[in-house]
Parts: sequence; C-alpha cells; structure tokens
Amino acid sequence: MTDVDLRDPGLSEAGYPAERVSLVDLLDRVLAGGVVVTGEITLSIADVDLVVISLRALLTSVSALVEPQPEGD
Amino acid sequence: MSERYLPGGRPPGPPEEGIWSYAITESDRVSAANGAPDLSWLIGVGGAQVRAITCSGLAVLVSDVSLAEFGETALREHLEDLEWLDEVARLHHNVVETAGRLFPLLPVRLATVYSGAAALCAALADHHDELLDALRRVGGRVEWGVKAYAAAEQAEATGGPAAGKPGSGLAYLQRRRDQLAAGREARAAAVSGARAVHAGLTGKAAAAVVRPPQSAQLSKVRLPMLLNAAYLLDASDGTSFTAAVAAEATAHPELRIELTGPWPPYSFAGGDDDGR
Amino acid sequence: MSQAGQAAPTGQRVRYRLDADDDPQAAERGLAALVLTLVELLRQLMERQALRRVEDGTVTDEQAERLGYTLMQLEERMGELLDEFGLEWEDLNIDLGPLGPLLDDHRA
Repeated sequence: MTDVDLRDPGLSEAGYPAERVSLVDLLDRVLAGGVVVTGEITLSIADVDLVVISLRALLTSVSALVEPQPEGD
Repeated sequence: MSERYLPGGRPPGPPEEGIWSYAITESDRVSAANGAPDLSWLIGVGGAQVRAITCSGLAVLVSDVSLAEFGETALREHLEDLEWLDEVARLHHNVVETAGRLFPLLPVRLATVYSGAAALCAALADHHDELLDALRRVGGRVEWGVKAYAAAEQAEATGGPAAGKPGSGLAYLQRRRDQLAAGREARAAAVSGARAVHAGLTGKAAAAVVRPPQSAQLSKVRLPMLLNAAYLLDASDGTSFTAAVAAEATAHPELRIELTGPWPPYSFAGGDDDGR
Repeated sequence: MSQAGQAAPTGQRVRYRLDADDDPQAAERGLAALVLTLVELLRQLMERQALRRVEDGTVTDEQAERLGYTLMQLEERMGELLDEFGLEWEDLNIDLGPLGPLLDDHRA
C-alpha cells in the first residue's frame, strides 16, 4: 500500500485495491474500527471479537477430529 | 449519484431489504450542484450500486442488501465464516477507500445495517454534532498502521553433556535456567523498545491510538505482538512517516516492525455510541 | 494446527481455510499438536518448579541431578514424538488471544 500515489483516483487492475492488504489487517480495522451510529430500528454488529471468530473455527475443526464417546461411559 | 431520500421517507422495494452503510461525509461532498464526483459505477457489498442518503447536512454512502444474507441472524453466522468475511470486508473496504480518495469521510464499521432510510436518518440526527466533529478532526487525513513484534530469538545451542554422563542432569538445569533468564531479558527489552517506538511515532502524527494485539490464529505470526498502533497523518506526510518508521526499525533490532497504509481513518472515526 | 492458505494468482482473492482438504494427515497432526501442547505445558511447569527448588536450595545436588536428568529425557522424548507426527516445536502452542500464547516458546 505504501507505493500508492495518494492523488491517484484509479483502482488497481484487479478492481480491488484491497488485494494487497492482508485479511487480518483489514478485519482489524473494519470490524473494530469505523463509527457505529445506532438508532431505534437498526441492526448492527457493533463489536465483533476476532478471537471468538478464530477460536470457533478452531474448535470446530478440532471437535471434528474427536471420536464420539460411547454412551453411558 | 442516483436519487437521494428525504428524511422520513422509505424507499419502495421488498421489505426483505436493508441498507448497508459504508461511510459518512458532509452532504456538500455528494451534491451534484457542488460538482461532486460520480460514484454510480461503484458496486458495494451484495452487488448493488452505491448511492448516498442525505439528511441533516450529512450524507451516508450506502447500498441495498438482502436481509436474507445481511440481516441480523444471517450476519451473526456469516461473521464467523472467514471466507464470507474475506469477500465482504474487501468489498466494503473498496467502497470506503475509493470514496476516501475523493473526499474526506468517516468510515463506518462493517455490518452496520439499517432497516430503511428513516432509521438511518434518525440515527444521524441523534449523533449529528459528534459526527461533524469527528469529520473535522479526521479532515481528509489518512491512517498508517504500525505493528511491532518481539524479534525471533537466536536459536539456542542445544548441545550439552551427553545423556548418561555424570552431571548431565545438573548441566541441563543450568542450561535451561540460563535460557529462561535470557528469554525474560529479551522480552523486557522488546517491551520497552515497543513503548519507545510508539512514543517516537506519536510525536510525528496528528493523532495516535493503540489497539489490541491481533489474533495470532488469523495473522499466523508466532512472535508476540507488542504494539498494534494507528497514526493519523496528512496525506502528504506519507513519505516522511515511512522514513521515520524505517529509522525506528533500524534503532530497534529487538523488534520486528511492520508498516501498513495508507488506510482510510478507520481507527479515528470515533468508535461506537459508548464513545469507545 | 496445519493451515492451508492458498495464494491465488494476481487478480483473484486469497482464500483462507482452517482445514486442509488436500492433506489427510492434517487432522491427525492437529489433534496430536493439541495433545502434545498440553503435555509440553506440564513438562515446562515441572521444569520451572524444579529450577525454583534448585535456586531455593531445597533439593540436594543428587536430587537436582536426578530431576534435571528426568526433565532432559522428557524433552528428548517430546522431540521424538514431534518427529513421529511430523511436527515442529513451533507447532506446539495455543493462542489465548489477549492473554498471548500458552507456552513460552524457547525454541523459536
């Protein structure tokens, strides 16, 4: 991103300048940064915990490995 | 820019649609009468065109989304799907960043969905002054991100008296004690180094904020993250700030320093209603 | 845990997957890594306690020698287990988010 000319209004050839950005840095900003303006009739996820996201996915993949225990053990 | 909605109006359309918001700016910036840029070609999350909704002097860049995919229940599930998140976050960021190059704006947090223009305008009216203050504070500046990790420790010599020789157990304990002490010292040096780097860079920015460390599960970096900071800078200061970061990196070999940017000012937009 | 992050050619988005379809051993390795991490945690705790007792002088030289020897053998055995499962020392760890990693990795 440091190569970008800040006055250049164009997009990269892929159409997504964010191609060069790592997912963790992007999520770090769009999920925990930015303003949240809530109101009465609004749906918003104001605070998403990145650790929760990754832990859940991790636990899912681990639990898939564990053999189910026999009943009545 | 396509049609704008008056406060209190509801757009026609199926009730299963919501409004996804990207960024907030002053309404002058998107008014065609003031020579505003044409953003009608910009596609947002969910594939719909980006447009502006204007009320009380502010304008919000938005696009229509289906609540089946972006409603509250669906969102909570999707937000735990890294592939979905990857795609949606990049689409969202693309809109924010593209518009951000054209006029000053406040990025809106991902997944802020309104039931309709009326709800959006009501929310804007409630927070009008704070939003205007935040816009002025951010004023077309950009954010640079600096991360500092404790640099990888040198590989330990694993040699020692061979097992079975007298005294090898004691020698092992001594070796481990020295390793642990060296590790503690290295960590302490890295922590104070990170503090010094942050202090130095803060002095070169209009504003600075320290953020929680990133999840190693996502970043895949095994080194401890000691600093995750964002610095607010004028767009023209990129070169000098980059040089300043490089100088800090040279001065602190006990750290691995990474620089990302320029970003739209996500970290300086003002957080949520609790003022966090 | 083995991860499969595939870098796509320019113009496509990078995909992140936490399970790897193309690596049948990944599941076993993942579970082994989890188990061995906990074993290593216990071993490191024992080691620190042994070091403390040696520092405090509450063990004789002979006891210290035996403690050290046992811990050394445990470390060797751990190394062998890692080899058996195709794991590296760096694979043993659990990220506790804001609390940092579980283990102090002295073999980075």
